[in-house]
Amino acid sequence: MRTPPFVKKEMMIRKGKFWKTESTFAYLLLLPATVFLIVFMFYPIFSVILMSFFQVNRLGQLMAFDPLGNYRFLAGRPDFWQIIIRTCVWTALSVSVKTAIGLIIALLLNIKFTGRKLARTLVIIPWASSVPISAMMWQWTYNADFGLLNHTLRVLGISDPPIWLAFPRTAFLANIWVDIWCGIPFMALVFLAGLQAIPQELYEAAEVDGATSWLKFRYVTMPLLSGIMIVATLLSTLWTFNSFNIIWILTMGGPAGTTDILVTHIYRYSFLYQRWGPAAAMAVITFMMLLTVSIAYARRYFREGAA
Amino acid sequence: MKGYRYLVYPAIVFILAVLLFPFFVTISTALKPLEEVYAAPPHWIPRNVQLENFSVIWTKYPLWAYFRNSFIVAFGTTAINMAMCIPAAYAVARLRFRIKGFMMYLFLVVQMFSPIIVVIALFRTIAQLGLLDNLWSLIFTNGVFTLAFATWLLAGYFRSIPREIEEAALIDGCSRLQTISRVVIPIAMPGLVTTVIYTFITAWNEFMFALTFITSMDKRPLTLGLYNFVGRWTVQWHYLMASAILAMIPVIILFLLIEKQLVQGLAGGAVKG
Repeated sequence: MRTPPFVKKEMMIRKGKFWKTESTFAYLLLLPATVFLIVFMFYPIFSVILMSFFQVNRLGQLMAFDPLGNYRFLAGRPDFWQIIIRTCVWTALSVSVKTAIGLIIALLLNIKFTGRKLARTLVIIPWASSVPISAMMWQWTYNADFGLLNHTLRVLGISDPPIWLAFPRTAFLANIWVDIWCGIPFMALVFLAGLQAIPQELYEAAEVDGATSWLKFRYVTMPLLSGIMIVATLLSTLWTFNSFNIIWILTMGGPAGTTDILVTHIYRYSFLYQRWGPAAAMAVITFMMLLTVSIAYARRYFREGAA
Repeated sequence: MKGYRYLVYPAIVFILAVLLFPFFVTISTALKPLEEVYAAPPHWIPRNVQLENFSVIWTKYPLWAYFRNSFIVAFGTTAINMAMCIPAAYAVARLRFRIKGFMMYLFLVVQMFSPIIVVIALFRTIAQLGLLDNLWSLIFTNGVFTLAFATWLLAGYFRSIPREIEEAALIDGCSRLQTISRVVIPIAMPGLVTTVIYTFITAWNEFMFALTFITSMDKRPLTLGLYNFVGRWTVQWHYLMASAILAMIPVIILFLLIEKQLVQGLAGGAVKG
């Protein structure tokens, strides 16, 4: 719909009059959100940074200025480096498996078959149920004596399934699997949306050229899906990196700290041990890591949006 | 692809079996009597279905209080969030001002921040405000942590409304505020509903802030209330699983209503391909 020229002129006058107040009006509208962000997000971030440069007592009061003390303390602890590595393994493993399974599901759901709608809805459900409750459901499913997972494995012929949450390695894998399980639906849905946006003609053209299914996947699907894949993977990386609830509910970082990642470690240090200084320093490190990935994501987002 | 089509069904059935397995476990356990919960080897399907579990939990646990608290927190969060994000989204979507690009960037980056990095300091802020062990603490913190995405989502809807409609209203003598309330908001209603449901669900499911700020039994929201069953050494799993089902149902229904818009909002520009 085109605006008739006379209206346009009228509008320009109005805009001209309005211009002086338009930005003031905008700032007024942004005021409540900004105040909230400052009080409940930026001020806390600032005070965590400040806290990390001080010796802090058990009550959380700043004692002596010691800019590197907390950081030096962390760097000197072997378990801190283990936790950093574990957090990276946790994130990399979880995100890559989520992405792979999500892609497979999306490819399957992109084929037309009877019952596809129902299958799609059922695939989403793990995402819709809340993470804390999912973790509790899995905790019971993993139960060594009465849980149905090991029973099912035994029936399938695995005579000696592990006691999942009791040993470091299996507990870590069990935690990762729950995170993967929670994340698969999002990946599948985003990829499905991406697949459905690919014009059908490209496949037809490839067929005319005699391309096999694999070649079509390799040279049509993958390149056109890569943009959305990067965005989804970045987003998922941030979520997985921050995933606190699953580990806290399933194993609380145990047995013996072997399933601790950065976020659960921060929480344990602050609210269980009351060692606020090192906890704040870890929070600052985490914040820096998140900020880097977030800015990369935001850049990408704006570039895609502009294209 | 035609030749492989018959393989779709077994593949889908296998995937669904894996994805839905814990739900099956949950429902099965919720229907078992105590003896069957602790039967070894366990039964997949309960032999003596016990529907009473669903009624017993109401008298055995303060489930009413948990539900009430979750509702208060979720509604409060949604109200606070809307009061902040409708104006902010409108400003970002429609008005011209100097730091607009920066504000949009900021909202997108803030969306990624983890509550864990601020919870240490937030604990003190909440204590200073006298809000520890008070549902307001959850309403405020959840409000802030849903603010960025809600604003982002809503701004997208506002932007999709043709400018001409607003301009016509301005010419007809509406003030800017009237234009927002009488023209923009009604047209953006579907987007507003999505944003409201998203905020509501996030607040309903929140766990860490509740774990940190709430101590009294009668102020716990559902997620924390159910978690505390697990914390005791005698977990009555059939009751816990029955409660979990009740806690999940409203969320799943609401979620399925907005899932499409949510995916588009999250994956953003890239989906348009």
